[in-house]
Amino acid sequence: MKKLIPEFLKGLIKENPTFVLALGLCPTLAVSVTVVNGIGMGIAATFVLLGSNIMVSLIKNFIPERIRIPCFIVIIATFVTITELFMKAYSPALDRALGIYVPLIVVNCIVLGRAEAFAQKGKVLNSIFDALGMGVGFTLALILISGIREFLGSGKILGATLIKGFEPVFMIGMPSGALLVIGLLLGFFNLLKSRKEKACK
Amino acid sequence: MQIDIGQLLAIFISAVFVYNVILSRFLGLCSFIAISKETKPALAMSLAVLFVITMSSALTWFIYRFLLIPFNLAYLRTISFILVIATFVQLVEMIIRKFAPAMYRFFGIYLPLITVNCAVLGVAVLNIDMFFINGKAVQASFFYSVFQGVCVGLGYTVAMLLMSGIRERLDLCNVPKVFKDFPLAFIIASILSLSFLGFNGFRF
Amino acid sequence: MNKLIVSTSPHLYKKESVSKIMWMVAASLIPAGAAGVFIFGSSALWVIILGVLSALAAEALIQALTKRKITLLDGSAFITGLLLAYNLPPGVPFWLPIVGSCFAIAIGKQVFGGLGQNIFNPALVGRVFLMASWPKYMTTFTVPMNYDAVTAATPLALLKEGKLIEKISYLNLFLGNRGGCIGEVCIVALALGALFLFIKGYISWHIPFTYILTTGIFTYVFGPKGLFTGDWLFHISSGGLILGAFFMATDYVTSPLTGKGQIIFGVGCGVLTAVIRLWGGYPEGVSYAILMMNAATPIIDRYTRNRIYGTR
Repeated sequence: MKKLIPEFLKGLIKENPTFVLALGLCPTLAVSVTVVNGIGMGIAATFVLLGSNIMVSLIKNFIPERIRIPCFIVIIATFVTITELFMKAYSPALDRALGIYVPLIVVNCIVLGRAEAFAQKGKVLNSIFDALGMGVGFTLALILISGIREFLGSGKILGATLIKGFEPVFMIGMPSGALLVIGLLLGFFNLLKSRKEKACK
Repeated sequence: MQIDIGQLLAIFISAVFVYNVILSRFLGLCSFIAISKETKPALAMSLAVLFVITMSSALTWFIYRFLLIPFNLAYLRTISFILVIATFVQLVEMIIRKFAPAMYRFFGIYLPLITVNCAVLGVAVLNIDMFFINGKAVQASFFYSVFQGVCVGLGYTVAMLLMSGIRERLDLCNVPKVFKDFPLAFIIASILSLSFLGFNGFRF
Repeated sequence: MNKLIVSTSPHLYKKESVSKIMWMVAASLIPAGAAGVFIFGSSALWVIILGVLSALAAEALIQALTKRKITLLDGSAFITGLLLAYNLPPGVPFWLPIVGSCFAIAIGKQVFGGLGQNIFNPALVGRVFLMASWPKYMTTFTVPMNYDAVTAATPLALLKEGKLIEKISYLNLFLGNRGGCIGEVCIVALALGALFLFIKGYISWHIPFTYILTTGIFTYVFGPKGLFTGDWLFHISSGGLILGAFFMATDYVTSPLTGKGQIIFGVGCGVLTAVIRLWGGYPEGVSYAILMMNAATPIIDRYTRNRIYGTR
């Protein structure tokens, strides 16, 4: 059990899929307009990650090497379809908000990347924790970005106004703002990394 | 079959400028950030993407219209589309490898990466959302779908071209270290996205 | 003159240093600002002061934090702040030019590495940011020569909404007796400044004339009542065209190097401006047009390079 905790933790910071591995940026930027959407997408992606990682590591010995990518894609697509139908049935508002980015979880580099790089090599239990770690890391990144964007772009968090008389910066809620926020965040994390490296010397 | 020129123009302006596939919808962002460092690979990738998007728009339209709807399998949209796209890209890869090995080497890993390019699947899904109402195809929806595919490919190319020119120029400058490469690329994309806003609300 | 200078293009050598040119450009902009203050009152003066001071402060702060040399005296931050202020309506809240200038300097200029390395005109980056973020404030204009800050619409806005019933006299447009941004309304003052720059050789004719000519031709051809019925004089003298064509599109750093490239740049700006004015959702397209052409400048430069003697 002890060995599994690091598998989970690495997805949170050291190998955070968004800020370190730079995977799955398309939905991250598109969806992070409000925190609710961010959390919704994070949960959906985590579910797909879990399902596909488990499945792939279970049947990895039965998949021929040459067609493994299409097989992974079918497995992932199945879980995405399950998620889609579930969302349409139980939270149609979220489904409408996330739009085409729900089916696009299929091509979310995080999911395919973990299946390729991890699940097909490791044991089922490891894959579960890896998926959970990556999923939670992804969700946390989404919450960070959408938190910033929702607050600056509309003056609210989770729909509640925080500061009175604050003139929201509409641009931040626009696609342009998403790109700006992630550019600045990446720069900021680079700064932290270089400071840490300097301190270690 | 009536094809509305105004609708065509609207699709064009929308796909290339107002809702540019990369700068506004963020589809294809991963490959955009990774490959837009130099112009030659950027152009090559754009042309490949343009071709794949156009063909897959056509293929997925057929699958949806003549397979999924008649058999009430609309919910299998995602799986079937991505399979079609993956197969098609694999086919293209094999053909290029056989008949133009130099080009194949030139593309390298970028070709299979087009499969997971959000833009391809994204446009396929978008076409369905836009040109099918309640499971029925609108008039000339095939034409509109393929046309939208072409325009999205063009939008991708425009963004790639501008971006690669800019990043090549910046290679000669001393950018602050924390912003080098990726962060600055996003900030440039942000400013590009802002300037494309000028085309909002286009009306003929 | 015995310094070995390593730099990227343009490897231009002029007798005057970069900073002298900058301050001359700043000087040439003074008449337009003075006219703006005269026409719109003290609120305009405050916008200008706040814009300039914030730009200078932002540049100094960022350069200090990143341990680079503080180069306030080269005049470029001053010009950015000034141009941004000139692109704002006179009645904006005090924090607007401050935020705009900071954004312009930080994101439009410093993030690229400072002077000479930015791709986009920083003042326009700031303006477009403000326009997207606070459209309400950026499109509320005041009546000219009425210091009580009564609101009015600009001629281009009225045209876009189809409410331009009575013709605004060209004299009013030229003198600045109309609603608009602080530095864009008084054509006469702008022309004076531009003339000064021409005489001193700081700007060449390529960009401004092709820009204005293209816009004029386009708006003439695609007129409201059919082909060749457009009011080109109205279009040339309204909005930010004169300000943009002479003072912002001509920025050395963000426009092409060769004459041929500059002509392409000017034509591109002209077409885009006209297209947005005629069919886009916004009444004015100068800022967007110039920024888009800024983005295309590296490519334009690449394909209009002067051939080195001896090569094919």
